[in-house]
Amino acid sequence: MLRFIIKRLLITIPTILIVISITWGLVRLAPGNFYTGEKKLPPAIEKNIREKYGLDKSWQEQYRRTIWGIVRHLDFGTSLTYPGQSVNAIIARSLPISATIGLLAYLFALLIGISMGTIAALKPNSRWDYASMGIAMLGISIPNFVLGPILVLIFSLTLYWLPPSRWEGFASKNIILPVITLAAIYTAYIARLTRAGLLEVLRSDYIRTARAKGLSESQVVFRHALRGGLMPVVSYTGPALAFLLTGTVVVERIFILPGLGNYFINASLNRDEPLIIGIVAFVAIVLLLMNLLVDIAYAYLDPRIRY
Amino acid sequence: MNKDSPDNLPETPNREPAITPLGTPHEPPIRAREGNIIHTSPELAVGEGDVRSAELGEVVEGTSLWRDAWRRLLKNRLALFGMVVVILITIGALIGPFIIKQLTGITPDFIPSDAALIKAFPPFTAPDGSFSWKHPMGTDNQGRDLLARVLQGGQISLMVGIIATLMSLIIGVSYGAVAGYLGGRIDNLLMRLVDVLYSLPYIIIVIVLLSMFKKETAQGQLILLFIALGSISWLTMARIVRGQVLSLKNQEFVLAARATGVSTPRIIFRHIVPNTLGPVIVYATLTIPTVMLSEAFLSFLGFGVQPPLASWGSLAAVGSQNIAIYPWQLLFPGLTMGLTLFSLNFLGDGLRDALDPQIQR
Repeated sequence: MLRFIIKRLLITIPTILIVISITWGLVRLAPGNFYTGEKKLPPAIEKNIREKYGLDKSWQEQYRRTIWGIVRHLDFGTSLTYPGQSVNAIIARSLPISATIGLLAYLFALLIGISMGTIAALKPNSRWDYASMGIAMLGISIPNFVLGPILVLIFSLTLYWLPPSRWEGFASKNIILPVITLAAIYTAYIARLTRAGLLEVLRSDYIRTARAKGLSESQVVFRHALRGGLMPVVSYTGPALAFLLTGTVVVERIFILPGLGNYFINASLNRDEPLIIGIVAFVAIVLLLMNLLVDIAYAYLDPRIRY
Repeated sequence: MNKDSPDNLPETPNREPAITPLGTPHEPPIRAREGNIIHTSPELAVGEGDVRSAELGEVVEGTSLWRDAWRRLLKNRLALFGMVVVILITIGALIGPFIIKQLTGITPDFIPSDAALIKAFPPFTAPDGSFSWKHPMGTDNQGRDLLARVLQGGQISLMVGIIATLMSLIIGVSYGAVAGYLGGRIDNLLMRLVDVLYSLPYIIIVIVLLSMFKKETAQGQLILLFIALGSISWLTMARIVRGQVLSLKNQEFVLAARATGVSTPRIIFRHIVPNTLGPVIVYATLTIPTVMLSEAFLSFLGFGVQPPLASWGSLAAVGSQNIAIYPWQLLFPGLTMGLTLFSLNFLGDGLRDALDPQIQR
């Protein structure tokens, strides 16, 4: 197990470097420059700008400087869209917001999704089953950028229960709608996965043994069945985290939250190379680490798995 | 995690593939067609699904795996509903704008010349407030008919969905089949690559790609979208195909092909791949809504389809800004998209149940 972890960690580093290089390459390959605006700049000013940002050196030199800065000091540079702010500072500032929304959304999805799936699996082909799976289908089909404004329309603009947008702090009512919007599709997937997994497990022999021993149904389900039935959910966590990222981007756009996704979109629209590379690298590292954690958890939960 | 198991899908547990090489769709055994009763002796009646009666070797209506699957699909009412809705929406998207143009002369990007008409109208309302059939879904802020735009959005979204899925199918199936058949070190390397790619933030890189290489023309941007979206979804397809190929490559028909001297590429693509079609079709039908969702999401952020072309995502982007005052601008594209994805998902689920009948509901 330890060798497995070390091998994975070792692969992470070159992977991140390749990701950074590809991103850097894409940004550089693209036609145009970040300082090209509506007007054409006078040549003297353009020369000054190029000198300041090191654009007059050869591309190998620029690449070397970028990578060296990252590898040596973990310094991703200064943002071009937000002058004077270092990329690390921007990421540090916006990360807690995105992380909070993402984590809360995933917890919400786990709670509600597993409950819905369990109820559906315990009473298959009943009203509960069809209702849960119908809601799950809706959750998968309605995109989050449609659901978000609709929720805002209902809960903020008609009922006046919740604020429509903006970020007011970690414990405010503002996070409720973004979290629900983000969580909807994962709730749906987790409900379906739980139902499928539980249905499989409930048919197996060891559950029959548990029932034959005289355990109550809730004991059977909670102590024995859920452990095996939740395996698909655990293995879904890996891809789910990747999609959570992209979902956060849309939700932050809709609800105007100053999170990582919003900064990333602005950076992409403005060709802010240091910020783009910084966020991409950070997100890649987080994803790789989370996938490693998920694999370890998988091995922990299912003793048959050996690395 | 047993890497050699037939499928590594998070949803389905490990089991044998449902489609066996007996009577493959590619090389059907000798059997009677529908309505064609052949009287033969019992020893000569071959093929699965043939019914041998006790006295004569009377061969009755034969059937194949595909026909069985089709019948199972038709029995599943939800899947049937999904299929019908998808077909209706596809037809509507394909010929809708054309019909609207014939009937009322309105095209999706037609901005009326009369300045009084360049504003958003609610559905079924004429400029003076009375009931009118002219704009069943209302108009957007510039007076363009929303129904025509939604239908054109359907055209673009469906086209992107299908073409990108086809691309990911071609790439994924080839990759997975080659990796599965060749096995050993090559398989290890190829699948390791897939694993690494799987854990990367693909969409983020695609956003960077789309924003850096934003094309001038709308058509150019579409082609870029096809490439970008096609390269997102091939990974799982490759895994599925590889799993199938792993379980197929030890079957006798492969041995027979090898013994006859068929070259390796031919074995892979003419013999093995057609037998993986079942799960491939199911997964492709489930990939289309995923790709459409990705395209809508990219268009919503402004990286996908550019104006004047409308896609459901870009319509939703405009509509969500005006949700407080003109809610129909978001509701109609959004709900149409929801309905389409809903039906596609039901159809995909139905196909999976039909082609893989071991799941007991």
